[in-house]
Amino acid sequence: MSTRARFAAGVLPYLRGECLPRVTGAVFLDNLLDSYGVGKVGEAMTKAEVLNAEIRDTRGTRAARRMRAAGKVPAVLYGHGQEAVSLALPADRLAAAVRHGHRLLQLQGGVNEQCLIKQLQWDVWGKELLHVDLTRVYADERVKVEVPIELHGEAPGIKSGGVLTQVLATVEVECPAAAVPDKIQININHLEVNQALTVADLDLPENVKALTPADEIVVHCPEAVEAPEETTEGPAEPELIQRQSGEAGEEG
Amino acid sequence: MALMPKRVKHRKAQRGRIRGNATRGNRVVFGQFGLQATQGGWISAATIEAGRIAAQQYLRGEGRLYIRVFPHKPITSIPLETRMGKGKGEPEYWAAVVRPGTILYEIGGVNEDMAKICFARLAHKMPVRVQLVKRHAGT
Repeated sequence: MSTRARFAAGVLPYLRGECLPRVTGAVFLDNLLDSYGVGKVGEAMTKAEVLNAEIRDTRGTRAARRMRAAGKVPAVLYGHGQEAVSLALPADRLAAAVRHGHRLLQLQGGVNEQCLIKQLQWDVWGKELLHVDLTRVYADERVKVEVPIELHGEAPGIKSGGVLTQVLATVEVECPAAAVPDKIQININHLEVNQALTVADLDLPENVKALTPADEIVVHCPEAVEAPEETTEGPAEPELIQRQSGEAGEEG
Repeated sequence: MALMPKRVKHRKAQRGRIRGNATRGNRVVFGQFGLQATQGGWISAATIEAGRIAAQQYLRGEGRLYIRVFPHKPITSIPLETRMGKGKGEPEYWAAVVRPGTILYEIGGVNEDMAKICFARLAHKMPVRVQLVKRHAGT
C-alpha cells in the first residue's frame, strides 16, 4: 500500500471524527505512526516501500536536471552480478521514504525488484535528493548498513559538571535486508561524569550484529574544561615560510 | 585570542571572487546541529571569536561547540588620508572565505530548543545570512 493510501486509510477517519470516540490517545498515536509506515523506535523497518520506477534512457547533467524539474530523481540499480539499470523514481515518494527511515524499496513498473538504498546524493543544502544508488537484495539476504545512533534519556553526568559528547553517530551493522533498523538507541540514563558507553552497550534488535568494534566509544561525558585565560601575547603576524637560498638560485 | 595561521607562504593575498556554493564543509559532521551560511562572504577572525564567546556564554559549559571555519586569508588595507598608489596595503586582519552552504559552527550534546536559541544569539554576530540545520540520519 502506498504512503498516500496509508495516510488516507489511517488518518482521514480520525480527522473526520469517525474513530476518535472509540480509541485512546496511545492507540491513536500507534495507528498514526503505522499509517505513516513509522515503526516503534529501534524496530526494524520490515515493510518495503513500494515505488513506481521508470527505466530512463537519457544520460547526462541536462537530462538529469530536466528530470528533477519534472519531480523525478535519477537512480541506478545494480548488484547480484546483473546489468546496471538507470531508473527515474518519484521525488516526493522517495524523499518521504528516506525521511521515515526506510532502507528497503520494492520497485514496480519498469522493473519489479526489491532493492536497498546504497547511497544518497543531496544538494548543497541537504534538502533535495539529486541521485540514488540502489542495490538488488533478497529479503533474507544479510546486508551491511550504517544505522544512526540515537541517545535516549538524560545523563546525570551533565548535572554534575560533565559535557555530553557523542563520538559515534552511526554504527555499521549486519542484518537481514528485511529487518534493517531505522535507528539504534543507547540509554544514557546512567552515564556519570568521566564515564563512557561503547558499541557493546547498544540495544541491538534480534538478528542484528554490530560490525563496528565493540570497544569503540559511542558517547562519553568528560568533565567540562575551563577555557584557558585569554592572552594577548603571541606573534602579531604569522611566521613566513622562507625559500631555501639554493632553490632560489636554481630557479633564477 | 583571534584565530590566525601559524605559518604562511605569502604575507598578502589577492581578493578573489566567491563563486558557486560550498561543495565541501556543507554537512553537519561533529555535533547534532549546525549553523549554515546561506550567503557568501568574508568572516573575520574577530567575528568568529565573537560568535564563539556568544555561544559559550549561553551554553555555560553544557554541550560542545565546534568551529568549522578558519581565517586563512590575509586582508590588507591602506591607511586613512594616504594618497593612492605606492603599492598594496599592509595586512590588517584575517578572514575565512565562506561560500553559501558552508557550516560555520556546530553544537552537540544539547537539545534542539537550546541549540536554536544559542544559534540565534550567534547569528546576530554574523555578517552573512545563516540557517539552522540538523545532522542527516544514515545513508
